[in-house]
Amino acid sequence: MSHRALRIGHLFPDLLNLYADRGNILTLTQRLRWRGRDVIVDEITHADTPRFGAYDLVLLGGGSDREQMLVAGYLANHRTELRHAIEDGLPLLAICGGYQLLGAYYQVPGGEKIPGLELIDMVTNYSAGQPRLIGNVAILTEEAGVVIGFENHGGRTIHQGAPLGKVIHGHGNDGVTGLEGIRYRNVWGTYIHGPLLPKNPRLADAILKTMLQYAGVDDALDPLDDSMEEEARRSFVKLRMPEVEAALA
Amino acid sequence: MLAIWVGKLVAWLLRLRGHDATSFPGKIALRLSPNLLRRFGRQLRRAIIVTGTNGKTTTTSLLAAMVSQQEPIITNHKGANLIQGIVSALIRESSWTGRLHAKTAVLEVDEATFPLIADSLPVVVIVVTNVFRDQLDRYGELDTTVEKLFSAIRKTEACLVLNGDDPLCRHLGLRASRKTFYYGMDRTTAKTSARKQMRDGQFCLQCGQELSYEGFWYGQLGLYKCPACDFVRPHPEFLGTYRGRTLTFAEDQVPELELTLPVQGLYNAYNVLAAASAARVLGLWADPIHAGLAAYLPPAGRMQSFAVGVPVTLNLIKNPTGCDSVLETVTSDPRRKWVVIGINDLAADGRDVSWLWDADFEQLAEDEYLERIITSGLRAHDMALRLKYAGIQPHQIGVIEEMDDAMDKAIAEATAAQANVYVLSTYTLLHPAVQTLSEKVRSDESQGLAYRTSVS
Ligand SMILES: [Zn+2]
Repeated sequence: MSHRALRIGHLFPDLLNLYADRGNILTLTQRLRWRGRDVIVDEITHADTPRFGAYDLVLLGGGSDREQMLVAGYLANHRTELRHAIEDGLPLLAICGGYQLLGAYYQVPGGEKIPGLELIDMVTNYSAGQPRLIGNVAILTEEAGVVIGFENHGGRTIHQGAPLGKVIHGHGNDGVTGLEGIRYRNVWGTYIHGPLLPKNPRLADAILKTMLQYAGVDDALDPLDDSMEEEARRSFVKLRMPEVEAALA
Repeated sequence: MLAIWVGKLVAWLLRLRGHDATSFPGKIALRLSPNLLRRFGRQLRRAIIVTGTNGKTTTTSLLAAMVSQQEPIITNHKGANLIQGIVSALIRESSWTGRLHAKTAVLEVDEATFPLIADSLPVVVIVVTNVFRDQLDRYGELDTTVEKLFSAIRKTEACLVLNGDDPLCRHLGLRASRKTFYYGMDRTTAKTSARKQMRDGQFCLQCGQELSYEGFWYGQLGLYKCPACDFVRPHPEFLGTYRGRTLTFAEDQVPELELTLPVQGLYNAYNVLAAASAARVLGLWADPIHAGLAAYLPPAGRMQSFAVGVPVTLNLIKNPTGCDSVLETVTSDPRRKWVVIGINDLAADGRDVSWLWDADFEQLAEDEYLERIITSGLRAHDMALRLKYAGIQPHQIGVIEEMDDAMDKAIAEATAAQANVYVLSTYTLLHPAVQTLSEKVRSDESQGLAYRTSVS
């Protein structure tokens, strides 16, 4: 049983820091520390060279179109390495803009295509005149039950893979198919922020469990007192999407 | 004409029933006469617009107080900065025949509203206080805000008064290519901060390189320059040196002014600097600037103090950067304290509360004088969770959804401990909190309780 410190690689916090990624990092690190585990967060800025072999989990957040374009440029040189790491089981949590980057491209209004990393067979389009998909969202997932949060995206994402969950309230990937996010190997891609993890401790722990297994260390997660998390979930759902209450129980 | 009559009637009816009439009369009048703003605009000689993310309301009120020392003006109070609020202010200041009582308007305008109204008014000066992350659900993204401001500026021939310490304002100034005055703080007062706070716009908007900083004031306000191109903080025409309760205001060839700050905090020093700079651009000398500051009444809930047995200080929080500077003021107070944080998610608050995770609530976890925090409002539980993950011990955190009950509890506990209370809240909880606290002050006074401003 190894007790080495776990290592989270946070990609481009200097560029992709929209939508409270800090809350996701905090949730992951605190839930490890509360269980007596050591964890280090490597902030990989645009000036650094990412070393995907060294991380036990990678987080890719969201940014503006301009920032996303810059990130796509920086990561283009490391695409092969990242693809191999993902095929090998590297856990990756990608949110909003980071989620869009997983696919082949993101076409912005005006026709310009921001190239993606082509890690997953997926495309995102945003046509002029289409409304942004904004609001509270709830989805039903296999691994973590009901996942709740907020979404705010112009892009419509299309893929043939497994979704993270089925929409119970809100828009999801494209506002049409009733699917939200993507689940591929150990990749979680989603438009849900708010941020995603604090109010979804089951999902946070599912990600942590995968991370521990990938790291090759003891993967037992001691139970935590999640009463504040559960209370926050219940009160939010009751207030903003009461029709989801039944699914929560 | 009918629109103005109806607007006035609606305003009168609202006030008769004790309601706030800052927006609704304008909304009704605009429905009857969509061109009303343009018609009012033709009667004005000049309009001075204050926009930006933080400090609009305070800067507008300060500037209005200064300009009104010289001539009658029209202004929109209480932060009613959307089109209906501006029209309501104009209706209030017009006769029944639609004639305006003043020729000069000093208006606070929301960044997203500004492009829609810019060509309806004779805008001569535009003040941009700063561009921070604010309510992403309404504005989309920060870059969109910059574009909106730019498109509004382009619809006017106004000169600009910009915060030179903000790279996003500097970018606006460079792109707008017109007469521009910058204000900024004295470089010797910048901090080399180690705190990890949210800094927007830290990349050069001209070439994409990361900006390098010699020092910061707050957020991305600082001594920036681009290592790759010629983008650099401009030398300010109007220079401020902030020393606790005063701001030294300097410009070339003119004697310095010692300005007394009516509200505490660095961000309010920036507001005074912005207002005084705009006043100088409008040709005002020292007397109206001093008199305006003296006449200025802080708007409700901007570090507003109430003596309710113990001192209670109330402040608005609405976005990460503004919240961080409020938290800095709270945690730099070396007295034991109770804190109430009220978070709502109605339209005026921003429906997305994600920003709570970008604000530096970790500051509270490091405050040894913090006794207890009570979270309140519709999203009280989200706030409590944020505090838990910030590292505050769960036993120090309480949740009481009703704001009045939360304040009662904090005041009672703080009174027993002879400590003081800070109340921080989002927009829709602020005015009810002002009312509740004002009533408490009145009932204390009527019971003849000693008026204590401080227990320290
Ligand atoms: Zn540059």
